[in-house]
Amino acid sequence: MISQELKNALAKLAVNEAVVPDFKDKGFHLDVAVAPDAVAPAAEVMNLAGFFLEAITGVDWLAEGQMEVVYDYNHSISPGRVVIRARVSRATPELPTISAIYPGALWHERETHDFFGIVFTGHPDLKPLLLPEDADFHPLRKDYTS
Amino acid sequence: MGKENLQDAIVQFAPLDKLLGLGRANSLWPMTFGLACCAIEMMATGASRFDLARFGAEVFRPSPRQCDVMIVAGTISRKMAPAVQTLYDQMPEPKWVIAMGNCAISGGPFVFKGQYGIIEGADKLFPVDVYIPGCPPRPEALIEGILELEEKITGSRRWPRVEAG
Amino acid sequence: MSVLAQCDSKETFVLNLGPQHPATHGVLRVKLTMDGEYIRQAEPVLGYIHRMHEKMGENRTWAQFMPNTGRLDYLSALSYNHGYVLAVERAAAIEVPERAEYIRVITVELNRISSHLVWFGAFILDLGGFTPLLYAFDDREIILDLLQAVTGSRLTYCYFRFGGVYNDIEPDFITGTLAFIKRLRARMPMYHNLVTKNIILVKRLKDIGFVPAEMCRKYGATGPVLRGAGVAYDVRRAEPYSVYPELDFDIPTHPEGDSMARYLVRMDEIEQSMRIIEQACTKLPNGPVMAEKAPKIIKPAKGDYYAAVEAARGSFGVRLVSDGTNTPYRLKLRSPSYSNLSLFGEASRGMLLPDALALMGSLDLVIPEIDR
Repeated sequence: MISQELKNALAKLAVNEAVVPDFKDKGFHLDVAVAPDAVAPAAEVMNLAGFFLEAITGVDWLAEGQMEVVYDYNHSISPGRVVIRARVSRATPELPTISAIYPGALWHERETHDFFGIVFTGHPDLKPLLLPEDADFHPLRKDYTS
Repeated sequence: MGKENLQDAIVQFAPLDKLLGLGRANSLWPMTFGLACCAIEMMATGASRFDLARFGAEVFRPSPRQCDVMIVAGTISRKMAPAVQTLYDQMPEPKWVIAMGNCAISGGPFVFKGQYGIIEGADKLFPVDVYIPGCPPRPEALIEGILELEEKITGSRRWPRVEAG
Repeated sequence: MSVLAQCDSKETFVLNLGPQHPATHGVLRVKLTMDGEYIRQAEPVLGYIHRMHEKMGENRTWAQFMPNTGRLDYLSALSYNHGYVLAVERAAAIEVPERAEYIRVITVELNRISSHLVWFGAFILDLGGFTPLLYAFDDREIILDLLQAVTGSRLTYCYFRFGGVYNDIEPDFITGTLAFIKRLRARMPMYHNLVTKNIILVKRLKDIGFVPAEMCRKYGATGPVLRGAGVAYDVRRAEPYSVYPELDFDIPTHPEGDSMARYLVRMDEIEQSMRIIEQACTKLPNGPVMAEKAPKIIKPAKGDYYAAVEAARGSFGVRLVSDGTNTPYRLKLRSPSYSNLSLFGEASRGMLLPDALALMGSLDLVIPEIDR
């Protein structure tokens, strides 16, 4: 379960109030929206609380001109899923890397860069992971056509 | 499929060709080359119960230079295509190709409008001798495909044909 | 002091392993920087079987994506079926009848055993022993016979539906399953005598290929890799779904964190899966196998949803973003092997190449599930 301490620490970083959904309906315990430059401090908080990183993914909100990056965290000893999300503008999708805190994020960030063209500043090597080495397209953008 | 695809040599040594064909057909050496789901059925074909050794084709070799049959078992992605082409080129003549499963035939379930990642069929890269449909094909189907290939090499079928139904 | 520090040679060379290599189980490529026989750096290169699953999810209806889930990890396809239907059922608030839940558990656990048997055969094959593969496939064929009678296919299942399963099981299936369990119980001691106690295997696996719990956490590794490091994390217990809370089973763990521990965890899991199947077969209730109120056309409410299951390789998660239409807006598949492989670079540093391949085998990778 999510401790009150963690909730307070994340509340300081959140842009608006954290959502505590019903697990049965949504499948996660806590949903926090943060500013793009707060994803690394948030990852630090999660790391200190002993969480592991399940995945990083993007969502392209074409109509709103935004890109969303979603971080899924989970705990292996006292299970509880925390979702941390940040929105960046679609024109300049940039936010800092968390790979210094979670080395597992290296691949997830590369994959998100492949699919959405989101740039993780500070990432050591953002070359394509799943797409061919010379790929210059981002197939999961909603305006992508081959 | 069948005899009409056989390329004739310029100088014919008919009895010797027949003898060589018989030898080749009954000791096909496939390449250990799994791409995706079909590779597991290829493993099952070689393992207990289906026992491909009954037909002389169980000598799976990891090196293309020791093989004469390439069983393309799975989806060929665009990133993988140059490697598959290289493997084909490295095989010594005479060589044959079996396209196993819908992905190797035409891209199978992964073809959709605007797809960006796969090659729609092994025959876009090199000639294919036998096509085995299925997603994935059963081991019996792979065995039948190998028997078809034997027939193509020798010109006659050694094993009785099993009718459907 | 590590071996690498002892022989600090400046002469290294790059060794390319794959994408066509018998030990990589498919089309994985690893770029190795070697110092003699020792690995200085290992960099897996992915994407050789990227099949656009996530893009396809946005191109078809919720139900049309079902067959794709069977082709992600073809060795335990039903777990992936299960993860996806759980997510959609959660999003669309569909209740599943109890009989269907029990059938799901029985078939998923049978599938888990068959997946572990393939791993068992292939892993020993990597280490140079051919015979166990033939024994394992012999047992696995019986499971495939049972499953194909219910699901209609041998490998790439598409059996579950939103609100239940495609068709009911026959009484023959239950008797066949119980007979198979009896057979496998009798065969397990043989497997242990033939392989587990084999001195060559022990020397290849014991105290080699350490993946400690902290490394698992940093890279997000789950499943037998995490349980082989002593952490009893299993989605079936951590986030109980289906009828798992009503069934009695243990989560096998081995604290050593070496290749042997991961081997033993999987062998123990086969025993636990057999226990689960036996209980589920006894408790199987009568009733429908499809929810009566399940809608024909699924249109989940706007929002995002998550569901996770314990697949044979670890925690498989599905993140759905729905915009209220009949196609997903975004469909993210969190595959366990992806995270499990990402620690390979760190875990293999300083190892001998043959030992690193044993480590890779003990991670139990299925490449199409990594590349998606």
